Amino acid sequence: MKEKYNTKLYNWLDERFHLDSLVSFLKHKSVPDYRNTIWYYFGGISLLLFIVQVTTGILLIMYYKGSEDLAYESIQFINAKVSFGWLIRSIHSWSANLMILSVFIHMFSVYFLKAFRKPRELTWYTGIFLLFLCMGFGFSGYLLPWDELAFFATKVGTDIAGQLPFVGEFLLKLLRGGDDVTGATLSRFFGLHVAILPGIFIVLLSFHLIFIQRQGMSEPEEWKNKPESEKKSIPFFPNFALHDLLIWLIVINILAILATFFPWELGSKANAFSSAPVGIKPEWYFLFMFQALKFIPAKIWIFEGEVVGILTFGLAGLLWILVPFWDSKTPKGKRNKILNYVGLFVLAFIIIFTILGYLLA
Amino acid sequence: MSKYINTLIVSLFLLNISFAGNKIFNKSNKQKVDQCITCHLDDEETNKEPAHLYKQDIHFEKGITCAGCHGGDATKDDMDEAMDKNKGYIGIPNKAVRYKVCIKCHSDANKMKSFGSNIPTDQFEKLKGSIHFSESLNGSTPIADCVTCHSVHNIASVNSPKSTVYPTRVPYLCKSCHSNAALMKKYNPKLPTDQYNKYRTSVHGKQNAKGDTNVAECVSCHGNHGILSVKNSKSSVYPTNVPKLCSKCHSNAKLMDKYKLPHDQYENYKESVHGKALFVKQDLSAPACNDCHGNHGAVPPGVESISNVCGTCHNLNAELFEKSPHKKVFDKLNLPECETCHGNHKIIHVTDELLGVNKHAVCSKCHNNTKKDKAYFAVLDMKTLIDSLINSDSSSKKVLNNASQKGMDVSDAMYSLKKVKQVLIETRTVTHLANLKKFKSKIKKGFALTSKTKKEGLDAIDEYYFRRYGLGVATIIITFLVILLYIKTKRMDAKKR
Repeated sequence: MKEKYNTKLYNWLDERFHLDSLVSFLKHKSVPDYRNTIWYYFGGISLLLFIVQVTTGILLIMYYKGSEDLAYESIQFINAKVSFGWLIRSIHSWSANLMILSVFIHMFSVYFLKAFRKPRELTWYTGIFLLFLCMGFGFSGYLLPWDELAFFATKVGTDIAGQLPFVGEFLLKLLRGGDDVTGATLSRFFGLHVAILPGIFIVLLSFHLIFIQRQGMSEPEEWKNKPESEKKSIPFFPNFALHDLLIWLIVINILAILATFFPWELGSKANAFSSAPVGIKPEWYFLFMFQALKFIPAKIWIFEGEVVGILTFGLAGLLWILVPFWDSKTPKGKRNKILNYVGLFVLAFIIIFTILGYLLA
Repeated sequence: MSKYINTLIVSLFLLNISFAGNKIFNKSNKQKVDQCITCHLDDEETNKEPAHLYKQDIHFEKGITCAGCHGGDATKDDMDEAMDKNKGYIGIPNKAVRYKVCIKCHSDANKMKSFGSNIPTDQFEKLKGSIHFSESLNGSTPIADCVTCHSVHNIASVNSPKSTVYPTRVPYLCKSCHSNAALMKKYNPKLPTDQYNKYRTSVHGKQNAKGDTNVAECVSCHGNHGILSVKNSKSSVYPTNVPKLCSKCHSNAKLMDKYKLPHDQYENYKESVHGKALFVKQDLSAPACNDCHGNHGAVPPGVESISNVCGTCHNLNAELFEKSPHKKVFDKLNLPECETCHGNHKIIHVTDELLGVNKHAVCSKCHNNTKKDKAYFAVLDMKTLIDSLINSDSSSKKVLNNASQKGMDVSDAMYSLKKVKQVLIETRTVTHLANLKKFKSKIKKGFALTSKTKKEGLDAIDEYYFRRYGLGVATIIITFLVILLYIKTKRMDAKKR
C-alpha cells in the first residue's frame, strides 16, 4: 500500500520533471573509498556552515541597523530583547569562524591530495576565490557590531591595505568611504557583507558545485595506474550523503554548544576619540599575515618593510592559486615532493605565526 | 673681689654712656647738615608742604636727609651745589620707578640694621608678585607702589596711630581705591566696591571703628605687600585657605576669650562634611567660613536667617522646611532651623540614622512614644520604609549580579536600578517636609523600580536555565539522530561490501 503511494508520487513528479535522469545520475555518482576519504567531507561541512550563515544572517538583518548611531544598539537589542536573538547572533559568529576554518582545511586537503590537477583547475580557482570571499565576509562582518574592538581592528586592517604601492590610497578610501573609519565605512561594509559579497559568492559557489557534479569526485593520484576492479568506491547516494548528514549533525551540535556556553561578546560602543585598546589584533584568519608584517623591519634596502611584506604575501598567494600551472609532475603521474614541502611550509607558517600572534599580543 | 666688681660696673656704665652719646651725636650731627630743610622751610607757606611734613617723618627721625631719596648733597647751603646732578640729584623721583628709592634701603638688611630698624626687608619681593604691582592703565607705573599706601614725607611707623597703615586706618586707606567704582571698573568691572560699607556692618568693622586693633581689617585677611587675586590658589583668601585664615584669630583661645567667643570652630569645621569636601576633595563649591558668615560683612547668622544661609546651596531642603509644620514650632521656640538637627560647624555626613526614634536619631530629641505624638509614629514609618527600600535595592542588585555572572545581559535593568539612588535622595529630601503622605508617594517609585528590576533579573536567570535545558534536549535529540545514522551507515557499508 505504502509502496503504491510512493510509486504514484514518483510517477507524478517524473511526468512533470523527468526525474529519471537525476535518479540515474545519483545512482552512478560515487566517492572513492580509501584512507583519505575523511577529507572529502570538509567541502560539505563548509557548505552546511554557509547555509547556516545565510539563514542566521537573514534573521539578523530583520533587526540590525547599519548606521553609526544605531548599529551597536541594534546588536544590544538583538542580544537582550529579541527571542533567541542571542542564539542566532552567536551561531552566526561562531559559524562564520568555523566556516573559514573548514574552508581552509578543505583547501589544504585538496592541495595535498592534488585534487586541483587537470581537469579540476577551475574547481580549484573558484574554491580559492570562495576562500577569499569568506575572509572578506569575516572582515566586513567584524565591523558591523560597531564595538570598540571591531572599530580599531578595522582601522588597523584598512591601514594595511592602504600601504599597497600605487593603489593603496585609493583602496583605503574605497574601503573606508573617506580618510577615516566612520559611519560611511560601516555603511559600505554592511552593503558589502549583505549584498555584494553574497551575490558574487552564490555565483562562484554555483560554478564550484556544478564543476564537482560534472567532473565527479577526484580520485587519488596513485589510482591512475590501477585497474578499475581494484578501485573501491561508495555510492554518493545514499551512503556518502548519509555520512555527510551524520557529520553535519555533529557540526550543528558543536555549534549549538559553542553558541550557548561561549556566547559571542559585545564590547563597549566604538568611540573614534578613545585610544585604541592594548594589543589590538585582527581576527585569527588574518593574524598570521599581521604578525609576519610586524616582524619585517621598517626598511628593507630602499623599500618600506611593510610594502615588501604585503607584496611578498601577494606574490605567494598568486603562486598558491596558480599551483595547477606550475605543478607539471602530478599530471604526468609522478610524485611531486616539492609540492608537499611547499604545502607543509605554508601550513606550518600559518599555524606558527597565528600562535605567535596570540602569544605576543 | 669687690674691687674687680666695682671696676666692671663703672666700665659698663662708661661704655653705655659713650654708645648713647655717639647715637645722639650721630643723629643731631646728620640733622644739622640737612640744608634742604633749612631752605625749603623758608619757601613753604603751610605746614602741609613737604619740608614741614618731613620733620614728622620717621625717616627724618632716623636722620635720613632729603638727599636720601632725592639725591644731591644736603650739606651744601648753595642751591646749585646741593642739587648737583653729578652728586646724584634726581629731583622728584619718577613715578614709574620711585619704588627704587624705597627699596634702596628697605630691601637691604644691613642698611636697615644701621638705622636701628628690624622691620622685614622682603616687602618689595612680595610687592613684585602682588596684583597691585601689575601695570596700571597708563602703561608705565604700577597700579600701586610704596607711596600709594605709606604716603610720602610724613611716613609714620606702622605701630603709630598716625600711620596710614595703622590697623584702624587701613580700611580708609583701601577704601580710597576699592570704593571708587569708576576706578575699579577700569581694572576689574566684576569686583564689587561695597566692601568698605559691608565691613562697617560687620563685627570686625564695628570693633575696628571703636579703635580695637585686634580685630581683622583688610590687611589681616588679604595680606599687605604680597596681595594676590582671590582666584590665585596661593592667596590667603582663596576658598581652600579661608578656614585657616580665619582660624589665625578664631582658634586663638587667649584672644577669643577676651570676646567671650568659642575657639573650636576650625577644628569642628575640619571634621565636617563641608570641611572634608573643601580640604580633601578640593571642592571649591563647598562652603568655607565666609560662605555662611559673609566675608567683608562677617557676622554670625541669626536664628531666623540660618535656613536662608544653608538654603543658598540646599535650597530644596530649605524650601520644604519652610512648608513643614516644624517651621512654626521652631520659630515659636526660637530654635535655629537647620542647626537644630544638623549642627553648625561640625556638620557630619547625614545618614539615615538621623531619622527615626532610636537614641541617635534627631527626631527623638523632641518626639516621644505617646499616643498624642502622631509624628513619632510617622517618623517610625519613614525610617522603616527607607530601610526597607535599601534592603530591596540590595536584594535586586544581588539577583541582577547573579544573572550577569551567568552571562545574561541585564544592563537595562542595572541601569534602571541606578534610579533607586535618586529616589532615595529625593525621599530623604522630602523628610524636611515632615509629611508622611508625600514621603510615601515619593518612596513608592523606588519600590516599583526594585520589584521590576528584580523580576527582570529572575527572568534572566530563568532564561539562562532554559537555554541550558534547551541545549541539553537539543543535544540529546541530535546525538540520538547521530547514533541512528551511524548504525544505518554501518549497516549500509556492510551490505555494500
